[in-house]
Parts: sequence; C-alpha cells; structure tokens
Amino acid sequence: MLFRLIALPGVWISFGLLLFAFILFSILFFSRDASSIAQIDSHIWGLLRFTLFQAFLSTLLSIMIGGLLAWSLAHQSRFFGRKTLVAIFSSSLVLPTLVVVFGLISIYGRNGWINTLTSHLFDYSFGTYLYGLFGILLAHVYLNASFASRSLLHAFESIPREKYKLAKSLNFSTFERFLYVEFPAIKGTLFSISATIFLLCFTSFAIVLVLGGNPSYNTLEVAIYEAVKLDFDISMALKLALIQLSISTVFVLLSSNFRTNLNNLKTAHSLIPWREKSRVRILQITVIMIFAFFFISPLVAIMIDGLGADFGKIFSDGLFIKSFWTSIALATVSSILTLFIALALSDTRRNFTLKHRLGERKISKFLNLIVAFSGNLYLAIPSLILGLGFFLLSQRAGGSMFIWSTSALLTANVLMSLPFALSVLTPAMQKTATRYDKLVFSLGMSKVQRWVYCEFPYLASSMGYVFALSFCFSLGDLGIIALFGSQDFSTLPWYLYSLMGSYRTSDAAGVALILLAITLAAFLLLPRLFGRDNVRDR
Amino acid sequence: MLEIDNVLYEYHDSELYDFSMSVEKGQIVAILGQSGSGKSTLLDLTAGFILGKSGRIMIDGLDMSALSVEERPLTILFQHHNLFEHLSVEKNILLGISKTITSSAQEIDKVKNILKEVGLEGYEKKPASSLSGGQQQRVALARALIRKKPILLLDEPFTGLDKTTHKEMLALVRKITNKKGLHTMMVTHEEDDCAVADKVYRVENHRLVLS
Repeated sequence: MLFRLIALPGVWISFGLLLFAFILFSILFFSRDASSIAQIDSHIWGLLRFTLFQAFLSTLLSIMIGGLLAWSLAHQSRFFGRKTLVAIFSSSLVLPTLVVVFGLISIYGRNGWINTLTSHLFDYSFGTYLYGLFGILLAHVYLNASFASRSLLHAFESIPREKYKLAKSLNFSTFERFLYVEFPAIKGTLFSISATIFLLCFTSFAIVLVLGGNPSYNTLEVAIYEAVKLDFDISMALKLALIQLSISTVFVLLSSNFRTNLNNLKTAHSLIPWREKSRVRILQITVIMIFAFFFISPLVAIMIDGLGADFGKIFSDGLFIKSFWTSIALATVSSILTLFIALALSDTRRNFTLKHRLGERKISKFLNLIVAFSGNLYLAIPSLILGLGFFLLSQRAGGSMFIWSTSALLTANVLMSLPFALSVLTPAMQKTATRYDKLVFSLGMSKVQRWVYCEFPYLASSMGYVFALSFCFSLGDLGIIALFGSQDFSTLPWYLYSLMGSYRTSDAAGVALILLAITLAAFLLLPRLFGRDNVRDR
Repeated sequence: MLEIDNVLYEYHDSELYDFSMSVEKGQIVAILGQSGSGKSTLLDLTAGFILGKSGRIMIDGLDMSALSVEERPLTILFQHHNLFEHLSVEKNILLGISKTITSSAQEIDKVKNILKEVGLEGYEKKPASSLSGGQQQRVALARALIRKKPILLLDEPFTGLDKTTHKEMLALVRKITNKKGLHTMMVTHEEDDCAVADKVYRVENHRLVLS
C-alpha cells in the first residue's frame, strides 16, 4: 500500500507544491520586516473593505448578467450566429486582461468612442468616468459574465427535455419554469462559478492597477505591488501579503470542491421544447444583442486602433522583439509543465477515488483532498504574493536576477493554469479509467500500450485545450512580471503596460492587437497539435 | 477446477458477502441475481479487481487469491466498453496477446484464425466502431479466446443485444467452453440465459445458493 502511494508521481508533485507553499509562507512570516504584522491600521482596513466590496459586487453583477445571458442563449437556440457568439464569449477566458482593459479604454475612456460620439452629437463629454469603481466593475463583468454564461449555458442545456415537457403540460409560466425546473438544475454550477469569480476578482491585479484611478480604489494586490515597487516598503508589503494570503486561503478552503466547470466548454447545443411567448423572446434577443455589442465592441476597437499603428516602428524596437520571444518561450515552457503536472495530479486523484485502485482505503479520501488543494494553490497564493516571496528569496540567496525572474514567472504561470487544467483533465481521466480500467488491467496491457491506445486517444482534445489555455494565460499575464519587469527582462503585457504608462497610445494599440492576435491564434491552433476528435465520446 | 472457497468481502463496513462455489473444466456456471445483489462483486473478487477479507480462490488446486488481475489466468467479457472503438478489430484482438506497440506476422495470423472461429472472417481491418453490438461482443470473445486462459468470466455481456444475436452468442460461448475446456462463469439477471449453463447459483442474502 505504502509503496503504491509512493509510486504515484502526483503524490510527489503535490508534496513539492505544498512544501513550496510552506517555504513561501515561512519566508513571508519570519521575515525581519514582518514584525509589525499584528498592527492593522485604518488604511489597511480600508484596502480590505474595498477589495472585498469590489469582489462581491463584481461577482454579483457577473453572475446576474452571465445568468441572464445563458438563459437567453439556452432558449434562443435558433438565434442567427448563436454558435459564433458562444465561441466568442468563450474566448474571454484567455483574452489578456491588459488587452481587454485597453479595448475598454478605447470605448469608454476620456477620448473613447462614446465620448467622441456624444461630443459630436450633443457637444457633451462624460469625461473620465471609467477610472475608479465603475471601470473595475466594467472590466470584471466583461471578463467574468461571459465566462459564467458559458458554464451556465451548459447547465441549462443539461436539463432533461422531459422536465420542460412536464412544465409545459402543467402550464407553467416563464417564472415558474425558472423557479421549479431551471434554478434547481443550475444552482450547483451557480455556486461553484460564483466562488471562482469571487476569488478571481478578489485577487485581480491588472484591471485595478490600470482602471483603479486613485489610491482609494486600491485593492490588497495592487497595494502590495505599490509597496514593493513604488514605496520600497517591504514591511507594508509583507503585512498586506499575509492578510491577503490568510483570507484567500480561507476562501479556497471554504470552496474546497473548487470546480471551474471548464470541462463544460464544449457543449452540444440542443433545442429546448418550449416556444417562448413573443415578449419573452424579444427580451432574450435584446439581452443577447446588448451583451454581444458590449463584448465585441472593445475587440473591434482594438483592431481598428491597432491597424492604425506604425508596425515598422514596433518591430524595429529591440525591447518589443525581446519581450515577444520571452513571452513565447515562457508560455511554451509553462504550458508543457502545466500539462505534465496536471496529468500527474489527475492520475493520482483517480487512484484515490476509484474503488478498484486505492479508492477503498480510508486514507484515500484525505489524500485526494490534499492533492486537489495543492493543485488549487494559486487561488490561495496570488501571483503578487508569490512574486514577493521570490523577491525576498532572491535578496537573501543572491544569484542571477534573470534566473530568479524566470523561475518566478514560470512558477506563477504554472500555478495559475493548474486549477483550470485540473478541472478539464481530472474528469476526463476519471472517465477513461472508469470506462476502461477493468479491461486494461484484465488484458495486462503495458503502460506504453495503455497510454498509446487508451489514454491519449481519449484525452488528446482535453490535453490540447489545456495546453492552449495555459499558453494563453501565460502569454497575457500581467502579474508577477510587474514586480520583476525591467528593460532587461520584459514580456509583451509588461511592454504594453509600459507603452500605456508613457502615453505611446498608437504603439500600445499596435502591441495590443499583436497580443490579441497571437492569443486567439494560439487558442484556436494549438489544440490541433494534439489532433482533434480522435475518439468520439459516446 | 475453479474453486471459490469461503471468500468474505465487506462492503462499506456494513454488508458482508460470503461466497463459495466451484466450476469444473468445460462447465458453464451461471450466477443469477437482481441488480445490486452482489453478482458483479463476485466477479470482481474472482478477477482480482477487489480483494476479499479471507478465503481462497483456486484453479486446479493452486491458490490465486494473492495474484493481481494481470497475473490471474483468466479473461473477461464486460457488458460495455470491451473494445477501443477507435482501433481496428485486429488491433483490439492483438492487445490481448501483444505487449508491444508493433505485432509480429505470427500474431496477426493468430488473429485471422480466431476471427474465423467467431464467424468474423475478413473483419480484421474494420474499425471496431463500425460493428454492430453483436459483432463487437464477438470480437471481444475472440480476444478472450486468443489469450488461452483457462477461466472465462462473463459480466452480463449479451444484455442489450437483440434476441436472435443473444441466443447465437450464448450458443457460441457453450461451443467454445466445451471445445477449449474452459471454466466459464457467467453473471446474468436473465433466467433464460441459464439454459446454456451446467450449474446455476443464485445470490441470496449475500451468499450463493445452488439452484
């Protein structure tokens, strides 16, 4: 038994991840600068209050809007362009946050489309209304409502047709149908998605950094960044980091059954046997169209603004070229590492859950929880805190800053992608094992045979998706690089942020377009490396 | 002779199964019972997917209770998912005898011959997914036979097939058991299936009762 446990690579990886978290925590906690940890002043209370408030409001709005959109899409399955729209909304998950922010500024900013239009038509400008709580909520809703809608749409589509037929035969109104048929079916997804969105918004960095506007709209994450990078106040950064770490750990433990429902992204659209009343249909179509406009307009703005950029100038900038290759290299290595780690952890988890493996052992349930938690560490340790840990470690241990920066970025990227990778691969691997374990074991197939004939054909599309997802996450992340970024070490998001900070708007538009194009191309093309639909799921 | 001698199995610390039975060479023994009665648990114990608390499972006097699934001299036909649908018939059968990715000409010849025995001559290159349910179970049976193991375990493998195919498959199992001298154990919930069996056990109160 002990030997079988030790032989599982996922156990070692999980142990390594937890050890890493422990070391990081120790560095932060026992740092000489952390002596005043117990003192939490009104400034910190203010930061904490605003961080929680914006996360709560963002989650509420994202869930309400995403839910309404999913409900509308589920009932308008014949809506023209529905499939394309759903695919576009799905891309929100991988869009680089900074690119989205750039697009939102192009539409809602002081010199954005809306102000330009109202100035032309009514000689009136709304001014700089985007910066502050409004901008933060807008960007969070943009990214998370579309993400929520995708998972909730699947939940709506999974409701058995018979339930709709029964509701129809009982002459339910639209509201009764929602209350008795739809809500009970989606509430599980609603809860898990809400928990995910709350954690993402609680630790949101790039959006608050750019759209926060002034210190009264700072979150803990941005305050940590400012303490390290601008004020050089490590003591304050540590205090904030420990508060953030404690709170996010509690949230992760409370939602220990963390599921992102990403395995649901590939849904088959199905017809709900219910013809909507015309006023409900009009409402649903209006919701879809308004959200489609809200979602697509910033992307169009990025394209239009970007196409006007001087690409010759951008491509001749040495820092751009350096940032480009650094981003690609980091994304490639991160996604390979993520894929291997996620496969190992998922395999270990199925060993602990399946009866004919180690599932019947009493310790298995506990070990399964530990492995699951280690894979979701990122949610408890946001990248800025991770960066701070690496920063302090580099100060103590010395050595090449390039190596420290690269290690920090790779670690952050892998940890960031892991929860999503696991939510795709774990159920897929579980399913393959449930279906074929007995056959494979009874035939005495070798490990290579098992992988070639049984695992890979069934997992290829999930692996491709995880690889692409991880690549895009890494490519677009502006988190830890904010601490380590410099003229010598830069990524595309950091380069874009520098351009925006120095008001080189035209160049920034060009780089935003390049980043958007690479991300979308990677998201669409990388899964093909793994082959598509090797096996049709039955 | 296959002997299951007082094998005890405790499920979730509450249900205690106690199984004893035997199967002679060339015999088919049917295990009859309702869903959830423990028929499949008996099969899992025999195959080694789960381990009993005590008791012995022996073949011709040799205790195989401590052996892993791979080491036990048996082959199994399940109700579902017997084949990898994306692979050809030939590859599916080869997986029963070859432990490498490539196969020898001899092994391929063996596949041809065994397919003849189950009435699927010329089906070597067809993808498993293109076969009917009955044909798929024939391929699975062919793979079971090519492995030349003395024990054949059948876990309701013909449920869901149409009546004629169902009957044909049972007759084929009967013929093969006689011809190869197998110890065949068939779990089923359909009384009609027992017509081909030499002995019928019922699972009652977590024990086997000879009918």
